[in-house]
Amino acid sequence: MTGTTEDTRAATPGKLKPTARAARRTPQERGPVGSRRRRGVQWRRKDYGLVILAAPAIVFFLVFAYGPMAGLVVAFQDFNINDGVFGSPWAGLSNFEFFFTSGQMNRILLNTLVLNALFLTATLGAGVLLALMLNEIRGTLLRRGLQSAVFIPYFVSPIVISIFLQAFLAGVGGRGGIVNDALNAFALPSVSWYTEPGPWPWILTIVKVWQLGGYFSVIFLAAITSIPEEVYEAGTIDGATRAQMAWRITLPLLKPTGAVLLLLGVGRIFYGDFGLIYAIVGDNGILFSTTDVIDTYVFRALRTYGDFGTTAAIGLFQSVVGFVLVMIALGVQRRYSKESSVL
Amino acid sequence: MAAINDAGLSRRSFLLGTAGLGTVGALAACGNGGAGGDSTSGGSLSLLLPGDVPPGWDRVLGAVNEKLEADLGFTIAPEFIAWSNYASQSLLKFTAGEDFDTALSARWLNIAQLVESEAIIGLDHAFASGDYPELQATIAQDAFDANRWPDGTVYGLPAVNSAARLHHYTVRADLVDTYAGGSIDSFDQLEQFWYDVHQGEGIPGFVRGGASPWLVLGGPTGVFFPEGWENPSVIPVFFSSDSLFFVPAADAASTGSSDLVPFWEHQPYVDALRRVRQYYEDGIINADMLNIDTATAKGQFTSGGAASVWAITDGTSTSAHLQELTAAVPGASLMNVMPFADGLAARPSQTFQADNMVVLNASGSDNARALQVLDWVSKQENHDLLQYGIEGTDWELVDGDRYRQIGEYANFPGYALSWRVDRERKAADMSDSEDELFTWSQDYSNFERDTFASFIPDLGPVETEHSQITAAIAEFGLPLWAGAKDVDSGLDELKRAMETAGYEKVLEELRTQADAYLAEQA
Repeated sequence: MTGTTEDTRAATPGKLKPTARAARRTPQERGPVGSRRRRGVQWRRKDYGLVILAAPAIVFFLVFAYGPMAGLVVAFQDFNINDGVFGSPWAGLSNFEFFFTSGQMNRILLNTLVLNALFLTATLGAGVLLALMLNEIRGTLLRRGLQSAVFIPYFVSPIVISIFLQAFLAGVGGRGGIVNDALNAFALPSVSWYTEPGPWPWILTIVKVWQLGGYFSVIFLAAITSIPEEVYEAGTIDGATRAQMAWRITLPLLKPTGAVLLLLGVGRIFYGDFGLIYAIVGDNGILFSTTDVIDTYVFRALRTYGDFGTTAAIGLFQSVVGFVLVMIALGVQRRYSKESSVL
Repeated sequence: MAAINDAGLSRRSFLLGTAGLGTVGALAACGNGGAGGDSTSGGSLSLLLPGDVPPGWDRVLGAVNEKLEADLGFTIAPEFIAWSNYASQSLLKFTAGEDFDTALSARWLNIAQLVESEAIIGLDHAFASGDYPELQATIAQDAFDANRWPDGTVYGLPAVNSAARLHHYTVRADLVDTYAGGSIDSFDQLEQFWYDVHQGEGIPGFVRGGASPWLVLGGPTGVFFPEGWENPSVIPVFFSSDSLFFVPAADAASTGSSDLVPFWEHQPYVDALRRVRQYYEDGIINADMLNIDTATAKGQFTSGGAASVWAITDGTSTSAHLQELTAAVPGASLMNVMPFADGLAARPSQTFQADNMVVLNASGSDNARALQVLDWVSKQENHDLLQYGIEGTDWELVDGDRYRQIGEYANFPGYALSWRVDRERKAADMSDSEDELFTWSQDYSNFERDTFASFIPDLGPVETEHSQITAAIAEFGLPLWAGAKDVDSGLDELKRAMETAGYEKVLEELRTQADAYLAEQA
């Protein structure tokens, strides 16, 4: 059967062209004629369905991701509420002045990059490690239970985390805390954590690992389950121990998943996890020297002043640099590990 | 058509169903949300209010709208926005051109930008028209004029319940009886009380969530500012209250020269910084001021964990703390301590500029109706209904003019709509000391009008520098206000940051504008 009826139905103005072009090709060009035509028709019918299914997502991204990009024009305007986005006067690059002449730029950029690099490497590393460990647990019930337990912190609000941290590091009134109690138990002096900026990149990283380690481990665990059992059987036959199989089979096969997560993380490396950092550090200026990132700085400076032009300028700067970093990361991946590259 | 699953749902049916649901959702999203607004023949005004929806709100709003409909022929549909998001959300709504009618704004919010963008309307004409007699009767001309913008226009109606905003203390009266002989009449006594309580009870003398310059840089009074007790006349000048404070010369009015200097050149302010640092190190104040919010600090106080908290003359100190405190500490009681060596004979300076103002959206659906609502809520019975709820259900009259809450309705944000000095009722459980101070603070004649009373500087020429200064104050100023940093090294860092941010240009601009204001006043 060659699908003649369907071809005839398709032979109407506007819909005919691909089929007509196909009909003009030689049999050799067309290959197995019937199957090619059928696939073409089926693809088109499926396509309508797929488009309808994809429509909400397409509309979502058009409305909430691509549409608002028009608003970036505000970064180059002296924005006026009454004149709106398309009526406000142009201001050149003056909106970028706020950040670039603040005298804090180098420190803030460095903090943003260092903190995010720490977060990214530590959370991915913890995720892989947890996944490998969970994968080694034989008891299904125990594994599922632990899997859920390590995943739960992902859903804990940054505000709640900040309260926990307060209790751990400072206690009621800011002069105690569980950590200081523990230090005192070993005859070590208390530390005024909230007035010592030095340890905070590490404290935030620990919090981040606690929050996201389990989340990433679930992703890696899903990737591990897709590794064919035969590979491990081959390893067993070759006499590999479980540790060797984890190191030489599981870990290398997790590279593509890790690459995707790394790429996504690098794309957002100029976004400083505002929610977590602001919830924990808040307006404690003493800690800014090691915790202040672009988002918290801009938020602080603009929350009362509310200058949309400056905010948009910083947002554009973050996006452009993020895009460039993604491209660089992608290039590096393709150069050194093409098989695990996402594009 | 082949079924795509065992349930017999066909692919086409599935797609049609999905598309149908999507369409319904889209139509629903495009519809009028009508959050709480009754649809009536006369329409409904939208009002932006900060804070959480008061308990029992729907019931009270129903009664308010019933009366509004009968009196004015339309209703209101307030929209509550959480305090944490209010500044940005309200500004976004202005930006998006939404047609809400009123909002809360002030110099510490976004009124400068709203004025610059002509997003809110001037109110002089309406105020002077005679069409809104209740407004004119309940808002003092002094208060109205003190909020005049540099262009001579008033853009916000002051929503205040007292003439003066004086920072002072709410103190555990039972501890004052034990450690201070029943009264505190000077800053030295207060300081001694804090130390004694700390030693005797093991709790801080004062607890606070969030650092503020007003704690140490009196204007004219401050929590840790003893100079204000003796001489409550210095009020700093600034572009915004979270930015850098400048101190004018004491003789500015007579010389016509403001001679503004940054706060670190005013010795009493530096002394106050050293004092708060000492308190921090001695455990007299909480060490986590920078990290906790006001609710946490309040919880610490009401659970018996501190001897005093910050207060302001708005008549809400006792009612905000007493119930929880007595539940946690049976027998505890409260008093408000006046921050004046001369008691109520003191005549502190005041600018009468309002912390809270009701502004009218230039894109609002009907500005005339919005003014009618503001006039309507200025009437005693309407004010009571909105602010305290339904009489007999939510509150009852006590001693002729006080109110006692008997129902669930509470915490309506009157400061964004209905606060009027002459219409406020005192809570039945208000302490005698707060009653005395609050009553005194409601009389404009008890205060000296500050030299810069109606000076509102134009931020336009120094916008960028000011934003950078604000960011630097948050980093280097707040730790100083909280006593969390050594004063000398902290001030050095602050000064360096100010120089980088361009404070000299800001100071020069402010001096120019202040001198021009003085010349105009003369």
